[in-house]
Amino acid sequence: MKKIRDAINGVDLRRFRFLLQLFFFVLLVYGGYFAVNLGQSLPTFACGFNDAGRGGICYLLPLQHQLAMSWGTLFGWAGLMVLQGFLFFALWFFILNKGWCGYICPLGTIQDWITSLRTRLGVRYSRYTEGQFRRLSLIKYLLLALMILIPLGIGGALLPHDMGTPFCDICPGRMIIPMFTGDFSQLTIDFSTKTTMVMTALGMLVTGLFLAGAFFKKRFFCFFCPMSALHYLLSKPALLKLKKDGAKCTRCGDCYRVCDMEIREIADEVKEPRIMQDDCIMCLKCVAHCPEQGALKATFAGIPIFESTEQGFIKRMTKGHHDEHKPQ
Amino acid sequence: MNTNPSEATAPAYNRSRQAREAETLLDRIQDDFPDNPQAMRYFYDLFRRVYCQGEPVKHEGTLVGTTCIHAPEELIYAFGATPVRLCNGSYHYDQIGADFMPAKSCPLVKATLGSLHAKAAVPDTKSLELIVNPTTCDQKTKASAMIEAMGYRVHDLELPPAKESEEARLYWQRSVRRLALRLRELTGRKLTRNNLRQAMARTARAQTAFRTLHQLRKSAPALFLGKDAFLVTNAYFFDDLDRWTAAVERLNAELQLRQMEGFQAAQKRAPRILFTGSPPIFPNLKLPLLIEEAGGVVVADETCSANRMLYDMTAVDEWLLNDMVDGLADRYLKPCTCPIFTRNDDRQRRLLQLAADFHVDGVVYQAFAGCQVYEMEYRSIADVLAAQGIPMLYVETDYSPDDMGQLSTRIEAFLESIKTRKRNAR
Ligand code: SF4
Ligand code: SF4
Ligand code: SF4
Ligand code: SF4
Ligand code: SF4
Repeated sequence: MKKIRDAINGVDLRRFRFLLQLFFFVLLVYGGYFAVNLGQSLPTFACGFNDAGRGGICYLLPLQHQLAMSWGTLFGWAGLMVLQGFLFFALWFFILNKGWCGYICPLGTIQDWITSLRTRLGVRYSRYTEGQFRRLSLIKYLLLALMILIPLGIGGALLPHDMGTPFCDICPGRMIIPMFTGDFSQLTIDFSTKTTMVMTALGMLVTGLFLAGAFFKKRFFCFFCPMSALHYLLSKPALLKLKKDGAKCTRCGDCYRVCDMEIREIADEVKEPRIMQDDCIMCLKCVAHCPEQGALKATFAGIPIFESTEQGFIKRMTKGHHDEHKPQ
Repeated sequence: MNTNPSEATAPAYNRSRQAREAETLLDRIQDDFPDNPQAMRYFYDLFRRVYCQGEPVKHEGTLVGTTCIHAPEELIYAFGATPVRLCNGSYHYDQIGADFMPAKSCPLVKATLGSLHAKAAVPDTKSLELIVNPTTCDQKTKASAMIEAMGYRVHDLELPPAKESEEARLYWQRSVRRLALRLRELTGRKLTRNNLRQAMARTARAQTAFRTLHQLRKSAPALFLGKDAFLVTNAYFFDDLDRWTAAVERLNAELQLRQMEGFQAAQKRAPRILFTGSPPIFPNLKLPLLIEEAGGVVVADETCSANRMLYDMTAVDEWLLNDMVDGLADRYLKPCTCPIFTRNDDRQRRLLQLAADFHVDGVVYQAFAGCQVYEMEYRSIADVLAAQGIPMLYVETDYSPDDMGQLSTRIEAFLESIKTRKRNAR
């Protein structure tokens, strides 16, 4: 038992994550070809516009559609349908918590690949300043609010119908993910009405920003992601948890250094054991880079599944010291 | 220990006061205790050769002195230079250095100044081409100009007085980059990903060896004595890095064997002591030695001549120069429990955790007379320990041997009270 645990805690997290992310990427982006269908309430950007390959559908798409129904329908029988969709979404999320972001989300994975490309090219990363960080992390809540309010406005006939699914219009997933199955049709500006023109042009812009941003900043887009905002509202009861034992923490800051989401609390907070912050993507890099036995751990339904250990830390760092070819 | 004739014509180093000081201490460390680990011979011999006979330690490239643990050694190694830590523990130099500092100053700073002023100091100060002086406590900060006046080149490595804020962290990262530039000028070499990575691999191996030794000291009854542990970490100040690491690895292997054989380095009931405060630096191992001569055993420490210097490890996410250098900067700032920083909750938590992990019975707090920061933190540390029911002995002392008698009485009384407590608890 102890052997197994040591092996898990000593895992080469980078490789493990790479493989798992690849697996889920294939499942969600190409799964459709193998008749995989995980439903339409997935708490991750399995883009619904990827008609041919999708192995399930990103919940934001049906959510926006549903909310845009006329109020009469929405607050009537269809309300139940909305509720049901949300319930499935919550259930999926309940199992893995933000692990969906660190291990499954195709957009997250693409950003990590871009990061890999950057490090291979020997280009350094950029970081936000602390002030920028605090302000930026509010944007996702704003996007979430708009994403709910605009369709509601349409349903109430307060806004024009061609705003349809406003977030999808500007979501980089819509343009990028279908490309992986050879579908470049989303990569256009829709000139049918003025609104669609503005929105799709904005979408182009966001996609460009997504690609460029992710090149310089690790997980650039995740800081603004409304899905992540929606996640955080539900994350308290989820089964997968990130825990910290502050007494064992030396506040060395190693975990904070490696955190793609620049979450300072992961290093500095020593009183609260439930350490997950709203931007966290549960990549568990912090756990892998903590040299203190048991200071950080991921638990599933209360059972520790991955824990920081001295041995694991040393093993991973030694690999870095001696890895000749890859800067990653 | 043979001296060849050419050395004999040089000034009789081995009869200097410093050499005798070192010798007396080494004799006590070696002879007062039975069953010293075989692997400790390397360290005993090293100190005898270097401190008692004045044998120079060979070094690669430029020799760069450091006056505190905040100077990132990996950078120095990466430039092909060799760091040597100048913090000094000799009473002889303390007296020489007294000329430079006000009467009530820290003996460590005085001794460091004294050794830099002296002609044939140990470790070797003649070949220093640069001294990196982190701006830590007031006394070290002000020592900088005095060292410069002696004719040395000094780099003031600016350290922020607080370490919590992001501003402090960035300031320090810039400061470390500036040091890299200075080292580039000095050595004429370039910092590259590969030479830094190699340097980091070497210190990481040393830190790993230290951690293994540290963990072995958790075992109860004790496997290993604190006086030897301090000697090992003190050798790190000046010894060749890889040779030091190999010697510690041999020691670890021997201790692991001892562990399997159920060996005991101290009595089962020997009070287990956690040592904190001003650093014991060779040859001033007075206090740890007195504790162990009185039947206690120092099982762990929180001092910058041992644990604080070697325990913490650097994490790197992307093995590119920028991330490695920033990672190093963080390693030398964030986990540091030095009392020069504004707050000391990290030090408090570290002590409590060490006390728990090492089954500690009591804490001995050494404050050098004149080291204000440690003196000032005494109260807050005493309070948190008292709240956990851990007894603490606060000892204000310096490098002079005069208070030995009085100290040993106090230590004996402290150890006795711990034993009584333990008996009553059972
Ligand atoms: S466009 Fe974005 S939000 Fe819309 S379904 Fe695709 S991934 Fe989800
Ligand atoms: S935060 Fe990042 S990983 Fe998570 S859903 Fe959004 S884009 Fe995907
Ligand atoms: S890496 Fe571990 S010990 Fe260091 S600050 Fe983070 S949790 Fe604390
Ligand atoms: S806090 Fe840890 S798990 Fe969360 S994003 Fe940062 S490194 Fe990943
Ligand atoms: S007490 Fe602090 S400032 Fe002084 S030498 Fe040690 S670490 Fe440096």
